[in-house]
Amino acid sequence: MSNSRSHFRLASPTATLLAAVILLSQPFAAAAAGVDFNEQIRPILSDKCFFCHGPDPETREADLRLDVRQDAIDYLAIVPGEPDESELIRRIEETDPELKMPPPHSKRSISPEEIALLKQWIAEEAPYQQHWSFNRLEPTDVPTQADSKWPTGEIDQFVLKRMREKGLEPSEPAQKAALLRRVTFDLTGLPPTLEELDAFLADESANAYEKVVDRLLASPAYGERMTAEWLDVARYSDTYGYQVDRDRYVWPWRDWVIRAFNANKPYDEFVTEQVAGDLLPNATDDQILATTFNRLHPQKVEGGSVPEEFRVEYVSDRTQTVATAFLGLTLECARCHTHKYDPLTQTEYYQLSSFFDNIDEAGLYSYFTNAVPTPNLLLASKEQKASMSSLRDRIAQHERELAALEQQTPAGFQHWWDNARPLKPEPVVLKESTSALKAEPELVPGRIAHLDFEEWKNDKNVAVPGVKGQAIKLTGDDAVNLEVGNFRRFQPFSVALWLQTPDMKERAVIYHRSRAWTDAASRGYELLIEDGRLAASLIHFWPGNALSVKTKEPIPTGEWLHVAVTYDGSIEAAGLQIWINGQPAELDIVRDELTKNITGGGGDNIAIGERFRDRGFKNGMVDEFQVFERELTSLEVRQLHDGSSLANLLQQPLESLSTENRQLIEQYYRSNFSDAWQTKQTELQQARQKLCDLVDPIPEIMVMRENTEPHQTYLLQRGVYDAKGDAVESAVPAALHPFPQEAPANRLGLARWLMSRDNPLTARVTVNRYWQMLFGQGIVRTPEDFGSQGAVPSHPQLLDWLALDFMNHGWDLKRLMKQIVMSSTYRQTSRVTADDLAKDPENIWLARYPAHRLPAEMLRDNALAVSGLLVDKIGGEPVKPYELEDSFKPTPRSKGEGLYRRSLYTYWKRTSPAPAMTTFDAAKRDVCQLKRDKTSSPLQAFIMLNGPQYVEAARGLAERTLKEHPEDVTAGIEHMFRLLTAREPSPQERKVLEELHALNTDHFAANPEAATAYLDVGDKDFDKTLTPSQLAAMSVVASTLLNYDECMMQR
Amino acid sequence: MNPDLQNQLLHAQTRRHFFRDCGVGVGKIALASMLANGGVPLAQASSSDTPAPPHFSPRAKRVIYLFMAGAPSQLELFDYKPKLKELEGKPIPPSVIAGQRYAFIQPDAAVLGPQFEFAKRGQSGIEISDQLPHLSRVVDELTFVRSCHTDLFNHSPAQLFMNTGNGVPGRPSMGAWLSYGLGNEANDLPTFVVLKSGGSLSGGSGMWSAGFLPSKHQGVPFRGEGDPILHISNPAGIDRNIQRDTLDTLERLNSLQAERTGDPEIDTRISAYEMAFRMQSRAPELMDFSQETAATLQSYGAKPGNGKAAFANNCLLARRLAERGVRFIQVYHSGWDHHSNVAGGIKGQTRQTDQACAALIEDLKQRGLLEDTLVVWGGEFGRTPMVEASAALGRSQGRDHHPQAFTMWFAGGGMKPGLAYGQTDELGFHVVEKPVHVHDVQATILHCLGIDHERLVYKHQGLNFKLTGVEEHHPVTDLLA
Repeated sequence: MSNSRSHFRLASPTATLLAAVILLSQPFAAAAAGVDFNEQIRPILSDKCFFCHGPDPETREADLRLDVRQDAIDYLAIVPGEPDESELIRRIEETDPELKMPPPHSKRSISPEEIALLKQWIAEEAPYQQHWSFNRLEPTDVPTQADSKWPTGEIDQFVLKRMREKGLEPSEPAQKAALLRRVTFDLTGLPPTLEELDAFLADESANAYEKVVDRLLASPAYGERMTAEWLDVARYSDTYGYQVDRDRYVWPWRDWVIRAFNANKPYDEFVTEQVAGDLLPNATDDQILATTFNRLHPQKVEGGSVPEEFRVEYVSDRTQTVATAFLGLTLECARCHTHKYDPLTQTEYYQLSSFFDNIDEAGLYSYFTNAVPTPNLLLASKEQKASMSSLRDRIAQHERELAALEQQTPAGFQHWWDNARPLKPEPVVLKESTSALKAEPELVPGRIAHLDFEEWKNDKNVAVPGVKGQAIKLTGDDAVNLEVGNFRRFQPFSVALWLQTPDMKERAVIYHRSRAWTDAASRGYELLIEDGRLAASLIHFWPGNALSVKTKEPIPTGEWLHVAVTYDGSIEAAGLQIWINGQPAELDIVRDELTKNITGGGGDNIAIGERFRDRGFKNGMVDEFQVFERELTSLEVRQLHDGSSLANLLQQPLESLSTENRQLIEQYYRSNFSDAWQTKQTELQQARQKLCDLVDPIPEIMVMRENTEPHQTYLLQRGVYDAKGDAVESAVPAALHPFPQEAPANRLGLARWLMSRDNPLTARVTVNRYWQMLFGQGIVRTPEDFGSQGAVPSHPQLLDWLALDFMNHGWDLKRLMKQIVMSSTYRQTSRVTADDLAKDPENIWLARYPAHRLPAEMLRDNALAVSGLLVDKIGGEPVKPYELEDSFKPTPRSKGEGLYRRSLYTYWKRTSPAPAMTTFDAAKRDVCQLKRDKTSSPLQAFIMLNGPQYVEAARGLAERTLKEHPEDVTAGIEHMFRLLTAREPSPQERKVLEELHALNTDHFAANPEAATAYLDVGDKDFDKTLTPSQLAAMSVVASTLLNYDECMMQR
Repeated sequence: MNPDLQNQLLHAQTRRHFFRDCGVGVGKIALASMLANGGVPLAQASSSDTPAPPHFSPRAKRVIYLFMAGAPSQLELFDYKPKLKELEGKPIPPSVIAGQRYAFIQPDAAVLGPQFEFAKRGQSGIEISDQLPHLSRVVDELTFVRSCHTDLFNHSPAQLFMNTGNGVPGRPSMGAWLSYGLGNEANDLPTFVVLKSGGSLSGGSGMWSAGFLPSKHQGVPFRGEGDPILHISNPAGIDRNIQRDTLDTLERLNSLQAERTGDPEIDTRISAYEMAFRMQSRAPELMDFSQETAATLQSYGAKPGNGKAAFANNCLLARRLAERGVRFIQVYHSGWDHHSNVAGGIKGQTRQTDQACAALIEDLKQRGLLEDTLVVWGGEFGRTPMVEASAALGRSQGRDHHPQAFTMWFAGGGMKPGLAYGQTDELGFHVVEKPVHVHDVQATILHCLGIDHERLVYKHQGLNFKLTGVEEHHPVTDLLA
């Protein structure tokens, strides 16, 4: 469908609706014996009245609502049977601008025809109906036209009945060749080969066509074709979007979709797995991978953004995508206020969004690292999974052995105590600074850094009196940097310091090893004050991939505290302990899921008091800052705090120690001096390292995973992220069918609700979308809006019958596709007489096949296929054909086969999609989109005539042709014509093309360098065995044909 | 049903025949259909083939929008605040900044005084910075709005907001709306052209997207090097004659096909290819600056082929596009994001842009084009009265993002010349008089082109969308001559 038509449709989206209502209302009237509320009245009320007198109480004027019959009657707006008594009619007909409805300032007006309809409707007692799409799907009788042999199946019976009501009759069947081309594109997105064409033309059996359809449905290209369309629905993109728009790794999900279509996964499972595969019992990795669907929305990274603002945006996008894709509802407006046209309240919007608001995600992805935003799935191979499992077993074994060792008095303890324990008269004085560590015996071994600030040279942070000598007072904007601290997550380590906070900090960074806060998703480790409490964390990507613990009580202000954080290398929150004044603090575990590295991203060493775009420890004081490359024992932490605990114990006779002290000293011995324990500890650490080294390079992909603690969703006033209203719980809109009683109140329950037999929408929306795929237009021409502002169906009974039939046959998509393409309706010719064109210019009644332009992907894939350049390979990472070098943010093209893959594999960058795709109306993929425009513009001509992909493809086609028909130009032209249109050229067409060929042959023979220059376009070398002038001439003919209507159109 | 209406509808559906030129007719029909139906586009368009009048008499036929991406500091250019000098180094009073948030600075940062001297210029005596010696010359032609404010404070969303009325990509841009509403004046150039200089654009291609409008309304970015339009040149080895032969053959094939199929749509394809051919002929002429006098080149500071003069070259090209009937010419210039050393940054940018901006105004005026060409100048937000400084980021003497107040200027196209409108407080922080929201700016621009922003609507996903969003906004009629 080209320019003008699409213009009329789009410039006037209700054209279809009006055409249905105005042109053709008689049969409706005849059928319904009166005015039909859903067909004729609701659109008027919805468009002209509901904005102020509809479902939204916020904008309701004069307390009048017209969407509920009884309210309108009580108000006397409608007096059934008495149009002239009805206030509604009076006000519409009023001439006084003060009283007239709709008020002139609203810029809405009601036509005389519409007023007549309203009057007639009220005269007929003003019956209301539920909006058609909300009616439960009930069995529909299939009409029969006994006198016609035309119908092949039920579809045709419905179509023929409507057609005849409009005074139309079906067209002839399409020519076999045209039909083969049509169905091959529709089911595989590719043209038929000449072999397939010849075979079909030669096959005179009754089921020749059916055999073709079955062959096409079974071909792997079917899955690719179906996926290309699904990528628009799922707003698929290989990059995150927004400003920075970095690459992301999501294509394994696209390959899942291809596999699902090719395996003919029932559509209910296809949807359920994408919405909630992670919640299925014993979910497989593949089922979890399906849920990437929910994470394909754009994501933000720009500095200074408020993470919550964008997190809320993601939740909304997921909700709206599901509503659009599966319910055909335009939910977006209910985000800020109750829907003005459809029965959806703002509360219901947030109740529905609550299903999608329960994953551990960040509002921003990480600028400084390439971490995959959480939650995600590790895409490990079978072998990797086996290795991981055996390493986990080994680790568990080492842990058990280590625990057993810790139950006994360690070997050698007595000897050590008697001969080797460090006896010192005085508590050890720790003087060395980071730069000059002294190798003197230590009570607390393993120290790798120590800042005592005694010789601090004031910069912005200044020296102040401290616990011992001087401390440092921090500005919060200036860090104190160390040269150590780049620990991996399997390495035990400890940090100890004295600190004093001047006030109750809501948030303050005490120390950290990281490049930044949200800009690095806090990659590394850190000690913060949050809401006055101490919080220690090890982080791959905050919040979903981290260990984090927090003290239950706020810390006191205005006094010195000794704080230590010890970590045992276990990669569990239980191994992370905060100590205050030598005692273990009572902690809450905030996060306990760390599966990837805590290194990388920059900021490799510890910094005190400040972090990039975070809140520093402003006016906080720090003293005696020490770092240890081991987990300190309890006694050691006490010693660091009081300077005496350990030293004093070591002075005592062994016999005099209490049991507790004896255990503490044994623990101290074990950790520092026991060979057996240290050997085992080393083995354990090595095993953990092996696991980490194995896991860290395995890619992850964003998926859905429910929080263990449910996240509370709130109504957001005006949709603003920080204007929280009432708390809401997950629920579905009351106007729709009830949530299944036995279903869980989560996404899986929601999926069950979506795919329920009682759901009036999903099956209708789905069959309509596939109808649109095959006919260019849906039965409902607004596939994304089945609400009261959407178009009414042209064939309501057919839509209902198809939808119910689809459900009753197990949501079998291949069956549905076959059912449609087998119909006589589909198999008609697209040719039209002027008379029929005038009767039904938009082809609503399908008395002919509706010709339409091939989508962007098929135009390009067709050129590649006929040229022989197409690389027939399924799935894998996205590729970069020529046109990406010409996009807004140019990216170098692939080399070799990446230039010749099917278009659904073309790298999709949200802020810079391939211009050749968008010029041909490819969806922008910012949001879920169920329909594309089909325009024609001069810019398309430039791409098809001059773009390197098409120039090279034309040459490929010419090379193929010249090799098959080296001598015979006419045969060559026919060969190309058949490849591109599936038919023989007419004598006139042949003549026109031969003339073009002759002109060019002469021209290129006279200008050999022009021929070579032309043939050199593209990366692939031209066939040097052919005569350049002949090849160039044939290439020009091929290029012309690629631009020919019958090649670009589905006819 | 009403037989007249039926005929009208049929007529509307079939008269695409008459619009051989796919660029011209359709937009006008769109507007006509909107007018006929009080804003909601319906099918029974005007039955005449003459273009429908706009909503009201337009003052401008086209727009040249000089978009200063990155957000220039109004405090160094147009909004003089001596009080800032007085308070320099002191924290800004907490009462002024309660509840505000910033990308980089703490809200209690110190005040930074204006970095340049200001003086009253022209007859109108409008005060602007001494960094704008050229613009000072044409001050009496300009309409300054010092009270602009926006909703968004990061570049990408704020740029999208200014261009599309929405902070999230996916909506039609202003140029696309105008292409949809008014159609094309030229039959050999795109309706909506995008020119770029000075580095990358945060808002991305979403800024000239057609959004949910038909894709032909999207802006056509002219490229800095090579073909101005993607693949407008014939492939190597193909000369104009061969291309003509190809197109003739195509037309013959397509005409035969039209007969065979009875499909009138084919005419649209034929005319699209013809327009492509005309564009191919037009483009080299358009890009050929040798037709310009040395004096003209000099006045702009234009140097064909010299990347350093990209903005000046684009301004001159913008005038050439305007002359040739292009409806919306969007000139982006990036590089105004001065988080550090705002003085140096402004100097650098004004050196690149001041002369060409002034030359454009003078050149348009001299050619009689300023009357019906609306020139718009502005960024996506303003900059803070407070200093931005951070040792960690190596920043000092800069200014952070400031959505609360900024300045734009307009010229020609029915705007009142020599006017300075709106006022900010003495610190330049908040607008205190005659606030103009981004949506008001957009409504005003549409108004100049004869369009009621509330009636330029497009139904998408069940809703009537418009450029200026759902809240109430108005064109600023005080700005109009």
